[in-house]
Formats: sequence, C-alpha cells, structure tokens
Amino acid sequence: MLRAWVAAVVVAVLALAAPVAHAYEFWLRMQTTGQAYQLRDYRLVGPDVFLGRRRYTQTLALRIWDVGDLAAARREAHLPERGLRIGWQSYLRIDHDFGDYTSGQIKLPAVSVRRDALDVIPELGDSVASLELLYGYVELAGLVDDRLTIQIGRVLTDDGWGTRGLDGGAARFELPSVPVAVTATAGFAVRASSPLGLAAYELDGTSGAACQEYVEGPAPGTGSWQLIDRNRVITNSRLTSDYESCPQRDVRQPSVGVGLATSRIRGFGAELGYRRTWSSTVGLIGPVDRFAYPDVGLYPNDAGQAPSSGVDEERLWARVHGELRAGAATIAPYADVRYSLLHALVDRADAGLRLSRGDHTLEPSIEYFYPTFDGDSIFNAFSIDPTTDLRLGYQRSGAVAIRASGWLRIYHHEDGAAPVAGGGDAGIDHPFGAAWRAQVDALWDAGYGGRRIGGSAQLRWRPAPELAVQGRVITLGVAPDDGGTATSARPRYVTSSTVLGATWQVSDGVALHTLLEVDDDAIHDLQYRAIATFDFAFIPEP
Amino acid sequence: MTRAVVLSMIVIAALGVAGASLADRDRTAWSPVVYPLQRLPLVFSHAKHLARGAGCADCHPAATTSRSAVDNLIPTEAACRACHAIDRAQPALVVLGAPPVACRTCHPGYAPGVPVAQVYLPPPPLKFDHSAHRAPCATCHGDLRAVDLATTEQLPTMATCLACHRDGGDERHCADCHVAKRGGLLETQFEHGALVPAHDGLGDAHGADFKNRHAQEARQVGATCAACHDRSECVACHQGVVKPLEFHPANYLLTHAVEARRGKPDCTACHRTQSFCVGCHEREGIGTRGDTQYNAVDPARAFHPPGWASTSGGRNLHAGEARRNLTSCTSCHRETDCLACHSAQPGGPRASPHPAGWRSSARCKALDRGNRRMCLRCHIAQSELGCDWSAAR
Repeated sequence: MLRAWVAAVVVAVLALAAPVAHAYEFWLRMQTTGQAYQLRDYRLVGPDVFLGRRRYTQTLALRIWDVGDLAAARREAHLPERGLRIGWQSYLRIDHDFGDYTSGQIKLPAVSVRRDALDVIPELGDSVASLELLYGYVELAGLVDDRLTIQIGRVLTDDGWGTRGLDGGAARFELPSVPVAVTATAGFAVRASSPLGLAAYELDGTSGAACQEYVEGPAPGTGSWQLIDRNRVITNSRLTSDYESCPQRDVRQPSVGVGLATSRIRGFGAELGYRRTWSSTVGLIGPVDRFAYPDVGLYPNDAGQAPSSGVDEERLWARVHGELRAGAATIAPYADVRYSLLHALVDRADAGLRLSRGDHTLEPSIEYFYPTFDGDSIFNAFSIDPTTDLRLGYQRSGAVAIRASGWLRIYHHEDGAAPVAGGGDAGIDHPFGAAWRAQVDALWDAGYGGRRIGGSAQLRWRPAPELAVQGRVITLGVAPDDGGTATSARPRYVTSSTVLGATWQVSDGVALHTLLEVDDDAIHDLQYRAIATFDFAFIPEP
Repeated sequence: MTRAVVLSMIVIAALGVAGASLADRDRTAWSPVVYPLQRLPLVFSHAKHLARGAGCADCHPAATTSRSAVDNLIPTEAACRACHAIDRAQPALVVLGAPPVACRTCHPGYAPGVPVAQVYLPPPPLKFDHSAHRAPCATCHGDLRAVDLATTEQLPTMATCLACHRDGGDERHCADCHVAKRGGLLETQFEHGALVPAHDGLGDAHGADFKNRHAQEARQVGATCAACHDRSECVACHQGVVKPLEFHPANYLLTHAVEARRGKPDCTACHRTQSFCVGCHEREGIGTRGDTQYNAVDPARAFHPPGWASTSGGRNLHAGEARRNLTSCTSCHRETDCLACHSAQPGGPRASPHPAGWRSSARCKALDRGNRRMCLRCHIAQSELGCDWSAAR
C-alpha cells in the first residue's frame, strides 16, 4: 500500500513538473505489405521445385516539420518561411521472409547434414528479419540569411547514377554574389554491417560471402587463401549466417564529397561534383593469433606489402542542361559525364535533346557505359569493354497518351567484333468516358541476349472515386540467345500472365491495394503471386 | 566509334550551353489547377473604365490590403454604385448623359424574375499577399487598357512570379507560393484536378511513361521533385522489396534473363549483383554453391559448354563474355570463382586476365595507386606488384 502511495506521489510530481508539451506538424506514411509468391528451384532432373516466399514488410516514412515552431509567426502571417527551420525526415523498413526461400534447408554434396539455406548463402540475410533505416536526418534550414542548409544523420547522396546512404552530414551553401551553391557531404558509407544498414547501399563488386584470408606459409609466397573463422563454434542462429565472416566488409568506409552547382537560374543548370570513399585494411582478425604461423592480416603479407588503406570509389562528375524556346517549340539539351579517378576512365556518360512542341515530345539520346566496381573488387581487372546506346523516344501527352521508342546498343570489343542489340516499344493510353481507361503496349527487341516480341492490354475501371480496378494480360514470346554460353540451347517459349488488381480507398488517406498475378509458360507450371498492401496516408495518383 | 561518341556528346553539350544562353523563359500557360475554371457571365470593359481615368484601386480597394489569395477582390455592385446609380426597382432605366445603370448593361440576358447568372470565381490554391507587393498592378496583371472583361489570362503565370522571385526555381521555395500540407510537401490533390508540373521543360514534365523513364529529370540540377514527393517514394521503388509491376511486368522472373544478359536496362541502378542477384541465383540452384544440380566438372551437368573456361587453349568463350558484360557474370559468380584460375598464386593456372599493355596503362597505375588490396587478391610476390616495373608482360 505504501509503495502505491509513493508511486502516486512520484507520478503527481512528475506531472506537475513536466514542461508544456508542444505538438508539431508531422506527416507520415505507413505501408504494411504482405506478399506470397513462388520462385523456381531449377532442377536438371525431374520437375522444378518451387520455393515459397512469404514476405511481411512494414515501412514508415516520417516528416516532422518546423520543430520548435520557429517559423510559425511568418507562416501564420502568410509570408514565405525564412529563418531557421528544424525538421526531421526518415524512412524505416522491416522486411521479413518466413517462406522456405530463406528458412529452408539445403543439402550440400560434401556435408552429411542439411544446413540452413542462410548459412550456405549468406546473401539471403538481406531478406531475413532486416530492420533498415534507409535515411533519417535532422535538417536545419534557413541558416545564414537562408543560404545554408545542414542535414545530420543518415543522409542520402547521389551522383546522378545511384543513391547511397551516408552516416554523417550534408551541407549546402548558396554563395551570396554568384548564382552558385556549394555542397559538401562527409561521413561513413552505409554498409550491410552498419547499424540498421542495408546491402543495397554497398558499392558493388564484392560479395558478402565466401570471404577468405591469406594464411602465410613457411616461406614468402607459399601461403594460401582459407576461409575465415573456420574453427569457431557454430552458434546456429536462425537470423544470420553461422559459417562465414567477412571482416573487410565490416570496416567503416569514410566518404567525403563536394559539389558546385548553379542555383536560382532558370533554363540552365550545371554541376561539378567529386566523391571519394575509402576504408582501412583489416589487420589481425581478432585479437589473438590463432595459428601456429604468423597471422598478420587479411591480405598477403609475405613481403609486408599490404597497404594500410584503399580507395573504394573516387569519382568526378559533371552535368549540364539547358532550355531553348523557339516559337512554340522547346529544345532542351542535356549532357552528363562521370569519370572514375580510381579506374582512370569515363564510366558513365549521356547526352540528349528533348524537342517539345505542344503535346508532342521527341528525344534522341546517346549513352555510354563502362562497368566499374568497388575498388576492392577484382572484377575491375576483368571489365574491359564498354557499351554505347542510341535511343529515340517519342511521347504524346494529353488525354490520349502515346509513346514509342527505339534503341540500339553497341557492345564494343577490343578485337573489333561488336555485337549489337536493338528494339522498340510503343503504347497508347485511351480514356473511355469518365470511368474507363484502356492501354495497349507492344514490344520487340532482338540481337545480343535474345529476341522478344509481345504485348499487353490493360483495362482500368473506376466505378467510384474510392474504388479502382484494373486487369492486365501480357503475352511475350522469348527466344534467348545465349551465344554459346550455355551447354544446351535455351528453349524458345511463350509466356502469358494475367494480373488483377484493385485499390479501395477506405477513407481519406487510407487505402487497401490488392493484386493477384498468374503466370503461365510452356516450360513451367503455373506460378502465383499475391500482394496486399495497407496504405496509410495513401496519395491518389493524378 | 569511341571518338564519334565523345564528339556527339560534346556537340550536344555545346548545344545545351548555347540553348541556355538563348533560353526564352516565357511561360504562357495558365494551369487549370492553379486557376480553376471561372464563370464570368458579365459584360465589362477595363479599357473603357481606364480610359475615363479610373484607377485600379478605385474598384479593387481591397487589393492594396489583401494578404491572402482566397480573398475575393472582384468589386461588388456596391462598388459600381459609386458611379453607376443602379436602381434595382428600375432594371431597364436609362439615364442620358450618365453612366449606364440598366441591369442588362453588365448582366447579359437579364430578364426580370429570372435569377441572375452567378459569378463563379474559385480561389487559386496559392499563397499570395497583395499588400506585400508594391509593384504597379500591370507588372503582374498586364496592360488592361485594351482589355474588356478580365479573365484568367490577366492573372500572373508562374513565369510572371519568377521574373522577380528567382528563388522560385528552387524546390525549397515552392511552398512560398504553393499550398503545403503537413510535413512541408506541396498539396497536389484538389477537387478540380491534380497539380502536376505543366510546362514542357526538363524536369517538369510528367508525361506518359514518366514512371519508367525519369532519370534525366531526376538528375538535373535544381530538380524540383522533392517539393511534392517525399524521398521515401524514390527509395521505396529503387531500394524496394515489392516488385514494381509497371517496370517488371508479370512473369519477369522467367524473362529477365534476356535483359540481364544485355545489361539493358541497367539492373545495377536498383540491384546489387553481388548480394541481390547472387543470393537468389544460389537459392534457385543456378549458382556455384547451394543445392545445385549443375556441376562444372561433369560435362553432362555443366551450365556452360565445354571449353568455356579452358586453361589449355580451346575456345575459352567466357573471356569475351566477361569483358563484354561482366555484370551478367557477377550475378552468379563471386570473386573467388575467378581467383580459382586467374590468381597469380603458385600452383594455379595463373591465367592473366589483363589485356596487352596492361602494366603500362593509366588504368593499372590508377587502380594500384588507389587500392592495392585488389591487386593483392591475386598477386603476392613483391616483384609482381605495381605498374611501374620494367619487366615485359
């Protein structure tokens, strides 16, 4: 009884002493998605086995606006917001697959017991109980006479060809006398091993599995690569791989970037950017030398030549775009280029012209691509041939929307033999009354990789503002061209799919999406996919 | 070919710069969402009133003090009475030598006993403070000396605003004029339509197939995407866990091999081959580990044809494929698969993947200088490291 009184008094005191609570404006979008579908486990003998994927995904996007009500006075006075504004933006995701795709077991030829699929294929860990913060940062806007914006936390950085996460900060400063903004980012690159990290932000080229260390031999040059931690006790965790360790992929990757971009200029934009990401070299694996011979690090150290650190990416990029008005027509040219200092080559570039007149837009463009990888990846030594794409696209906007495009890809080869691939697609979207829309698309491509021809027809019906139903039928004929890369020629096949979907807007900002897909082809049995999403803060499409 | 590509890009970039310098930034379109359809069943001549010396504020006095775009600044009958001696009891009255007062003068088709057609003037979904703008009315509304009834066309377009408010080209300032909802994003859904960028310039058009092809718009300097779209919309798709059915339609698991082998579209824009692709291929029995029935040692069960990766001559087909589209290889193979033959360690085949002239190339030097760890995966002997040694290769 005395304890209850004490508790009551403590609660009362806390309640009286508590400061006045502030309610801040916020926006959130929450989606709960359940998916059930099948993946084939390819068999050379006997029928294919289907692996079940049963996925539960929960996302939460949150924005808190003007924390502290610092801009409230101007907002209430209908004046543009100026001065310090503090906000928060984040996107959190839980993704869990409890189907046998991840939770099943695998029988390996040389192992007597069946092992968890996750232990054999650590990459499946991305789908097992992953809790990911894709971004989350505090933003301080309106500093220094509204010229400086600072973001601190898990920020996103983008060079135009991909977004990566960075645990650190980003700043943007508008120079006072010239229409130029300076941006800077610094922090640690988000990795799969980062707290609430995800593999999708990793630089590509190095796997999260099969990591090995070089174990020195009795004389320099006589060592060998061996799996790390091969002697450790298996804990048999159901959520992580028990067998492999990749310490080089666990080290932090500092990353810095700077950029100069035009600002407040309409009709023209240009940017010059630079980013460098590096990591220190893993030395001793664990505090104890576990071997009879010197265990001096992850890399061959016979001659002591392992560097203390290495660059994972170092890129310089530039882009420019403009807009020219010629009577009723608009000409909008653009060009982008990225140079990898680590590889001493241009790995990405594109340029194009967008010609618009009324509802019609024509866009010829050219794109250049040279595959490059994480600086730790030996794939960098193998990748030699770039590709060039030529593309011509057409669009007609308006109530009846039409689009068509054609493309040609040239695969350069050092001996001059350059295979090509090319194709085209077209589609028309036509309304019928206020409630119906029909869309028809066609596709054809051929050359390196194979030949595909097919099309789809889609019908959308909106009988009421809060209900939308759509059905789609797709048929595609495929003749794979393996170019002699496979033992047996890949069979030609025709695949058809039927998709039925519906969106029911339960109330303002709340919707339920459902979708059922059935796939049929001449090679395999029917496949099914079902998706249902509860969408809180639903935004209707225009 | 490379020279032609570079030349093409330079020409197009030059056009871009030239285009920008000549850019005509005039925008003449009035958005039907910003300015919903009006009904003005009136007869009125600004030209005649201005010619008689009337000032704007004589009829629109509230325009000098209004602080909201919701305010109705259209003069009422009371304002007209200042000059027009309207008498509702005499709807057809004509007073010679005085301003007209008959109802029909302003309300066409007026008939006694029939309700007068109402003016319908929905307010624009904008924030605007007339009192804060000291510029002459004609700066935004144009010269009305030749205009009779003012309509939407006498309202300022976005280009009119941007002539002074250059910040408006920046997404952080969109909400200075456009109505924002909770969280600071622009309100885009209205009863009379959805607010989408209307003009046809780069970065603003939401045309057909925009969902599938918006890379150029998104990467341009000063793109205004984030004014309306939360970043979660981008990462939910690009780093997604739900297959986007518009981009990967229907039976894509079966058909994706053609596009993946081509490398078009660029799978790496959203997928990491060394985790996403390898993990799935391994689990489906197509990789080098896991529960696979493929076996490179047994010709009857080999995935690739005989001589695919030969160390003793032969077609050695894999070399050309790897050079052409290595990302296709890396969707199944990890680095360790390549090291089995290409490592320079003693005892192995020591098959060099490097092209002729590699050690004197700028690429070799840059990679070695940037990250020697990569070199150490294959080369151990000190004499093999570095690109500046003189031994012929």
